[in-house]
Amino acid sequence: MVIRCTIRISLFILTSIIIISACKKSGSEKKTPTLLSFSIPAGFPDPTYKFITNPLTEEGFQLGRKLFYDGRLSKDGNFACASCHQQFAGFANFDHSLSHGFNNQFTTRNAPGLFNLAWHKEMHWDGGIINIEVQPLAPITAPNEMAEDINAILKKLQSDTAYPKLFNAAFGDETINSQRMLFAITQFAGSMVSANSKYDQVKKGITTFSDAEKTGYQIFQAKCTNCHTEPLFTDFSFRNTGIPLDPYLKDIGRMRITNKKEDSLKFKVPSLRNVLPSFPYGHDGRFATIKNVLDHYSDGVENGPTVDPLVKNKIPLTNLDKFYLTQFLYTLTDSVFLKDKRFSEPK
Amino acid sequence: MKNLLCKKIPFLIFTIVAGLLLFSSCKKDYSAEDVPIPPVVKDHNLVLNFKAVSDTLPLEFGKNYRNYFKQNFSVKTFKFYIHDIEMINTDSGRVFRTSADKYFLVDFSDSTTTSIKLSILPFQYNRISFVIGVDSARNVSGAQTGALDPAKGMFWTWNTGYIMAKLEGNSSSSPSGIFEYHIGGFKESESVIKKPVLLFPFGESLALKPEKTSEITVTANVNSWFYNPHDIKFNENPSVTTPGTLAKQIAENYSKMFTVVGVKNE
Repeated sequence: MVIRCTIRISLFILTSIIIISACKKSGSEKKTPTLLSFSIPAGFPDPTYKFITNPLTEEGFQLGRKLFYDGRLSKDGNFACASCHQQFAGFANFDHSLSHGFNNQFTTRNAPGLFNLAWHKEMHWDGGIINIEVQPLAPITAPNEMAEDINAILKKLQSDTAYPKLFNAAFGDETINSQRMLFAITQFAGSMVSANSKYDQVKKGITTFSDAEKTGYQIFQAKCTNCHTEPLFTDFSFRNTGIPLDPYLKDIGRMRITNKKEDSLKFKVPSLRNVLPSFPYGHDGRFATIKNVLDHYSDGVENGPTVDPLVKNKIPLTNLDKFYLTQFLYTLTDSVFLKDKRFSEPK
Repeated sequence: MKNLLCKKIPFLIFTIVAGLLLFSSCKKDYSAEDVPIPPVVKDHNLVLNFKAVSDTLPLEFGKNYRNYFKQNFSVKTFKFYIHDIEMINTDSGRVFRTSADKYFLVDFSDSTTTSIKLSILPFQYNRISFVIGVDSARNVSGAQTGALDPAKGMFWTWNTGYIMAKLEGNSSSSPSGIFEYHIGGFKESESVIKKPVLLFPFGESLALKPEKTSEITVTANVNSWFYNPHDIKFNENPSVTTPGTLAKQIAENYSKMFTVVGVKNE
């Protein structure tokens, strides 16, 4: 009797649960975006950007990915973010000292690689951008880059058939505004984490350096880590490395932002991760090869009032040192990241 | 007895579940008509009107005026941010502060932006104060919406920060025929953020009464941008579009451009 009673009661409870859940399902058609966690690679410090006011979701990431590869963010439709930030080049511009923009114009600086951006305190070679979210506005509106107006882009996206649905999926309704567009691009670009190079695998104990790489690493630690600090291979500071002023570009670097004389000709220390595929080098891409850069440090540094004390007397490097250093720098290529389908052009 | 209880319990549960169903999961369908219509409450009791002037003349875009240095000019863009509006009574020391985080972009090419509706604690006031500009925190906190939407064209894309006030136009005294003042800068040494306190016309005060709306009219004198304490001439400085000394000087000038010309109590 007791058993029958229990069965009856459980049956009723079960049916009720089914009814309730069924009712709920039919009542709420809205799907909430799938939250993603931003994982920090072992050994990396705390990131600057933590997706707090802009929660990282799969839908937001995918929307940002589509926007990143969409030429309609530029005035003539030709220049997507990806046109100067190519995945196989570590999201730098492969083999271009300066990039091409709207109406056959050149950019004025070398397109930097995009990875581990969440750790950057400032964007741009001169650090002019203080928050990653507003970074895309710079290339989008620059007349020699994408040359487009924000409101014009929003109109294009609003009249598109796919975008309203994607904004709905990512943000809960079909409103398309600049904040949501920037949030989505930030979710995509901010998710580009590169921490799976041979160097990283050596650090994890999965593999070991060759003898040449090991020697290169020792030279690197002795002569380069003050600025190219591990594990991000930059200390994010601004320094003048004795690269002479280009008479045509007349780029004064950090001083453009701070208006301070002592910041003249200073540029942000670039990360050396993925350095091999992201050539050419330097803020204006004047160094075609890694060897050119090393030659600059050993022989080329032009002294001046703001040149960094660490390089002003040049860095003594023999040809053999340069060979070993290059061998080590090759281990910073993250081929998993360079081919990661999550960051490639969406189908 | 046991048997009876057993028979009753399922029905009891069923009733409870059915009840829950009606009131919770399918709430939407039932409550839609039952929601009481909220009584109409006025969302504001003070209207702050801004009017652009060139000294004693009302400012019309495209029309010619003269600055202190007898240089001709016409205006095509005139806009600025304000926020943190405060109503003050200097007799009682009472201050009513509106939400400091609510920003307004006053743009004289868009009449919907020149009248700001506010909700103020009904009381007597004899001063008004507001911040011209965007607080430093807001300059660095990423993508914003509303008045601070970068799509409003008041955001520097190459050097993070808001253009706090913008004045553009033409002048035959400028070598290029045009002038452009994009005034911004929020870092301590470059800050152009100003907070003027404005007096009311002699003998007038704002007497807000419950259920009534008052109006304050404030003029913004474009000529103030060019004179006192700093001389800004179209031939010498036709373009100021970066933070720095000149921007700070112009901001100091324009922080004196406002005058309360009328207070109207309903």
